Amino acid sequence: METLVVDAGSKLLKAGAAVPDQSPAMIIPSQMKRMVDDGSDDVTLDPIERGFIRDWDAMEDLLRYVAYTGLGWEEGNEGNILFTDPLSTPKAIREQLVQMMFETFNVSGFYASEQAVLSLYAVGRISGCTLDIGHGKIDIAPVLEGAVQHIASKRFELGGTDLTKLLAQELGKSNPSMKLSMSDVEKLKEQHAKCAEDEIAYEKTQNCEIEQHTLPDGQVIRIGRERYSVGEALFQPSILGLEEHGIVEQLVRIISTVSSENHRQLLENTVCGVLSSLVGFETRFQKEASLCSSAIRPTLVKPPEYMQENVGLYSAWVGGAILAKVVFPQNQHVTKADYDETGPLVVHRKCF
Amino acid sequence: MYGGDEVSAIVVDLGSHTCKAGYAGEDAPKAVFPSVVGAVDGVEAMDVDADSAKNNSNSEDSKTNESDKEKGKRKLYVGSQALNYRRDHMEILSPIKDGIVSDWDLVDNIWEHAFRGCLMIDPKEHPMLLAEPPLNTQQQREKAAELMFEKYKVPALFMAKNPVLTSFATGRATSLVVDCGGGSTTISPVHEGYVLQKAVVSAPIGGEFLTDCLLKSLESKGIKIRPRYSFKRKEVRPGEFQVEDVGVPDTTESYKLFCQRMIVGDIKDSICRVPDTPYDDKSYANIPTTSYELPDGQTLEIGADRFKIPDVMFNPSIVQTIPGMEKYGDMIPTVRGLPHMVMESINKCDVDIRRELYSSILLAGGTSSMQQLKERLEKDLIEVLCSPSLFCARLLTFLDFENGSSSALFRSFQESPHSARVKVLASGNTTERRFSVWIGGSILASLGSFQQMWFSKSEYEEHGASYIQRKCP
Repeated sequence: METLVVDAGSKLLKAGAAVPDQSPAMIIPSQMKRMVDDGSDDVTLDPIERGFIRDWDAMEDLLRYVAYTGLGWEEGNEGNILFTDPLSTPKAIREQLVQMMFETFNVSGFYASEQAVLSLYAVGRISGCTLDIGHGKIDIAPVLEGAVQHIASKRFELGGTDLTKLLAQELGKSNPSMKLSMSDVEKLKEQHAKCAEDEIAYEKTQNCEIEQHTLPDGQVIRIGRERYSVGEALFQPSILGLEEHGIVEQLVRIISTVSSENHRQLLENTVCGVLSSLVGFETRFQKEASLCSSAIRPTLVKPPEYMQENVGLYSAWVGGAILAKVVFPQNQHVTKADYDETGPLVVHRKCF
Repeated sequence: MYGGDEVSAIVVDLGSHTCKAGYAGEDAPKAVFPSVVGAVDGVEAMDVDADSAKNNSNSEDSKTNESDKEKGKRKLYVGSQALNYRRDHMEILSPIKDGIVSDWDLVDNIWEHAFRGCLMIDPKEHPMLLAEPPLNTQQQREKAAELMFEKYKVPALFMAKNPVLTSFATGRATSLVVDCGGGSTTISPVHEGYVLQKAVVSAPIGGEFLTDCLLKSLESKGIKIRPRYSFKRKEVRPGEFQVEDVGVPDTTESYKLFCQRMIVGDIKDSICRVPDTPYDDKSYANIPTTSYELPDGQTLEIGADRFKIPDVMFNPSIVQTIPGMEKYGDMIPTVRGLPHMVMESINKCDVDIRRELYSSILLAGGTSSMQQLKERLEKDLIEVLCSPSLFCARLLTFLDFENGSSSALFRSFQESPHSARVKVLASGNTTERRFSVWIGGSILASLGSFQQMWFSKSEYEEHGASYIQRKCP
């Protein structure tokens, strides 16, 4: 039976059997609704906040759905499972996850690995710098020979959800009579958001053309400069009110923290996730990169041709599928026997 | 008694330059950041930052905000992420002066950032192992214990001296630890796991001092080190770039110095080498230069300075020849070079263990990863030992005759020809040298036999903070 690979993100949960050439079989939103019997509104739950699992009961229900209903596991015949962790996951969260897996789900084998390393495996490399722009957080992690350099890596509490809030705010200012729900704004963001070519062009967008968009309930909304603000916020977080530098600047600083011999390896292999779908992101990235000091100039890596389109969106999952093919057959994972003998702490020893 | 098998301990080493924190049992600390705090004073700064504090999901700032109301509304920023961003009126403050903690509020903030910001743990659930300098006073230890138990409510605490931890990291119970850190260089003999307090020698020459020397030397040659925030590259024509200065009048001097030191520190790490022979201007005048590219695109050609700066550790009087460092001139006569400090320290020890100490000299600390330091130290020590007359003359100027006596002098005199027994050990990996204290702590805290030695919360409540003297020797 194939290993189940699960990449739980703040917005989307990607899960599927470990077949690296395909996209994950299930891509479902992580958000859940709790049905309340007495007729009042359903409560929306997010089991995963900012990349980390916060609500364990909801997570259990979600995984139960994914494994049994979605992917056809049977009770009493569970297989192996591989999870992906974001950067700087506290030890306690990993331990709780492995405990839940073995005690509640009774899996036969478990492995956990960091998303940064997996994204690099997906593009066929073991060293490089990953720029993971997710819904709940942004992680910048240099990886050398499969080992994440924790000392140099950084995590930002800024992600797609903050960009959505920004867009909602801006649209609220320019279309005051509109009532917008967050899911509408999300769709708007995905359809219309763009990156300006550079800072000067951004300033000029004051007078850019205004597009009309019809919402499902028939209201017509006008979007002008707001769509550029979303892309700009990544390069100038001061728009969001955060006291940080833009992502390219941060990337350069992080790379310069690592010792100089490894700079070249890191610079030539910069992998980016999710927002490669944002129009104009790549050109803006290159532009900003050329403005940095000449020795340290990152370039984005192109995924190999044999990989699917859009591998950027699921690169951590694809990497997990590749890793699963290696780890489980060689028995390097945490087995039920190991867990019974040592307890949850065994996960730190066996999984890097 | 604390039987902590299931919960892993946290090891914290707060040095004068960087703070290292992480889980015990791992081979490197997860949280490494500068042990300085950026402080923004004043009411105007408060109003400006109030909006950003609301939007900012980083919890570190808002938490310290509330606790600082007594301090006259001062906002503190900790950690490399927060410090890399330039803010108006932000002063850089260091809690540690001359190896002693002077401001416990800053230390509190640094620990808070390490626990909740970087490691994301709850201190209530993890025993803490703190690394302390060998000459720590009883008062400092009590204050640290108080802070840990009262504010962070840790279940158990232990304080271990830095040289002991370094010794453990290399698997030896007896050694002479040469800790070349950021703020100072400390030489301490460790015997069977205990520091011989009377023989500890310390000098204020550390990595930061060397960085300052290099900075002043470069400035005197007319090279301007531009901090990262002060310039911007503009595309003048397609493909052609020009560097422009950004006017930031409200940046404090201390922040500018902090940024410059970061850049110069990197130059020092990548280029400087300890010379094989003592430095003198004539022989190094025609040395080929190495180039280094600064963040703003300027290329530096460094020649003689590559060797001059590290030689300050061996021959402090060179400092007087560096323009701009004259104010240290009055301090210099009391500071000796590294080999002499080693000799002094060993000679303060009991005669019987000296041979063992000579054969296990350990190098630790960030500055010790400078190239060729190990070889030069070994060479200098053998030289000093091999020439009895030179040895005698130098020793006489440094011995204090209260402790020494002429018979002890003659005995050690007889032992001196054992030059072959001088062995300087240093781990080949520079990361290991930099974090050797932390690694020793990680090893210690994960030993099964150590679990009964913790100073637990119940013991603290029963006996008070002064009990720490008995529990942590």
